[in-house]
Amino acid sequence: MAGKHLSRWTLVWFGSAMAMLLAGCALGLLGAADPQGWSQGSNLAVVHLFVLGWLCQVMLGALIQFVPVLAARPLAFPGLALPALVATSTGTLALALGFLALDGHQALQPLFLLAPVLIGLGFALVAVMVTATLWHRDSLHLAEVRMVLLALAALVGLWLSGGRMVLALAGLGPAPDLSAMLPLHLLLGIAGWLGLAACGVTYKLFAMFLLAPEQGGRLRGAIFWTAAGLVALLLAALLWLLAGGSAGRATALALALLPLLALLALLYLTEIAQLWKARRRPALEPNMLWSRAALAFLALAAALAIPGWLWGGTWAETAVFVALVGWLSTLTLAQLLKIVGFLTWIQVFAPRIGHQPVPMVQKLGSTRAASACLALWCAGTLAGALSLLGASPAGYRLAMALLSLGALGVGRELIAVRQLAHLPPAERPGQLPHLMLPLLHPRPRAETRS
Amino acid sequence: MTDQIRQALRAVFDPETGRDLIAMGMIYDIRRQAGHAEVTMTTTTRGCPLTEVLRLGVQAALLAVPGVTSAEVTLIWDPPWTPDRIEPLAF
Repeated sequence: MAGKHLSRWTLVWFGSAMAMLLAGCALGLLGAADPQGWSQGSNLAVVHLFVLGWLCQVMLGALIQFVPVLAARPLAFPGLALPALVATSTGTLALALGFLALDGHQALQPLFLLAPVLIGLGFALVAVMVTATLWHRDSLHLAEVRMVLLALAALVGLWLSGGRMVLALAGLGPAPDLSAMLPLHLLLGIAGWLGLAACGVTYKLFAMFLLAPEQGGRLRGAIFWTAAGLVALLLAALLWLLAGGSAGRATALALALLPLLALLALLYLTEIAQLWKARRRPALEPNMLWSRAALAFLALAAALAIPGWLWGGTWAETAVFVALVGWLSTLTLAQLLKIVGFLTWIQVFAPRIGHQPVPMVQKLGSTRAASACLALWCAGTLAGALSLLGASPAGYRLAMALLSLGALGVGRELIAVRQLAHLPPAERPGQLPHLMLPLLHPRPRAETRS
Repeated sequence: MTDQIRQALRAVFDPETGRDLIAMGMIYDIRRQAGHAEVTMTTTTRGCPLTEVLRLGVQAALLAVPGVTSAEVTLIWDPPWTPDRIEPLAF
């Protein structure tokens, strides 16, 4: 059966993540993500809607879909995908609401304590699927496979540090030094979990979309082993801190790793540049064109990490903002447009290949629409970075508006792709796939578009 | 005889690049004995989600060739596909 290795719930993962992104952008636009008050409950709620609800969920959903490609093996335990999604999305909402307990809404405290349990369950279920799929002698020699597994190790650290901070903020147990825990939480989440997973996936994904030779030589091996050392040190510092060790030493170690992380980003970008030069596909689609902007934001985040390391404060905040919003989100939004088109093509047109003409995958999307909304997103990122550095509330509000418009545009384009709205009427089938749910019973098309 | 099959495979497109499978260098071998056709092919990467789609597409194209009554399509990944297999004027 065509498409039998596709995960049934991928589009629901993506839909849930997009909903969280739009909610986060809307709340940010309404002033609920104020750079002057990150420690407020409402601000933490919006930040976690964005990072956990959007970036983590979209990465988990993408891994469930992509690890079979990476390992050339069907997904292990595919039945866990839906319970993992339910646990992660409800856990994210519980955490966002629970943060409001810090602003005096004490009735929400039980949700705050329940959230880490649900999120941990969701993470664990995905980790089981991904590890069981990738852990095979035929795939473990690939640095990109090991990089995804390393990202999962960092995810464990992210959850441990986050869960411990929730307990401390809720007033339960001995309170660790939160100012020492936070750098570890950020580095394990951004560079460890999201960053390494993105690097591992893009090695394969970029080679496929660029028609470039899969390299994976000494440089990739060196990047992996350096990353493995950094994650090991971060996890060791976290365990030291959790065991009651000196907060000062843990913080010093985390901050000392920042220049190494910047170097790691530089090495990764060097390898991707080599891949780009070796490509056989001259004309690129928006997903790859705008991935270049994402990579430029990675370079900017790495550059900002150095003054962030030296002086902290707004430099560090801006580096985190550029990494999350510029690098990881631009990359994800650009590839999401392509991947949803690809999955839709397989759902609708795969059975026709060889029997009748079929459209190319890229005809399901609009280059113009995709580029317009991704340009808005990138402009919002730049405006946000500048406003953080310049401490400009008006600039920050403008950035939130641009980001919201960009995210809305991507959402609109994803719906158009699912509805095959960019195809000429003659090429559209009589039945359209469901917007997000698995294709069990395609619904009849109400009318023919003109 | 295999020219007819080659021509039929020129009509099976890789939906990602828009190039046919011959131009993409994904067809390794074509054999025909009387009404039976055999094709050995690959995909650009072993875990490609289009693997089964392309195999079925090639099979359907083979069976549409006049005189072909049975077809067998075998997928192999050794030797692996590389971009060097793409025809020079494909892009």
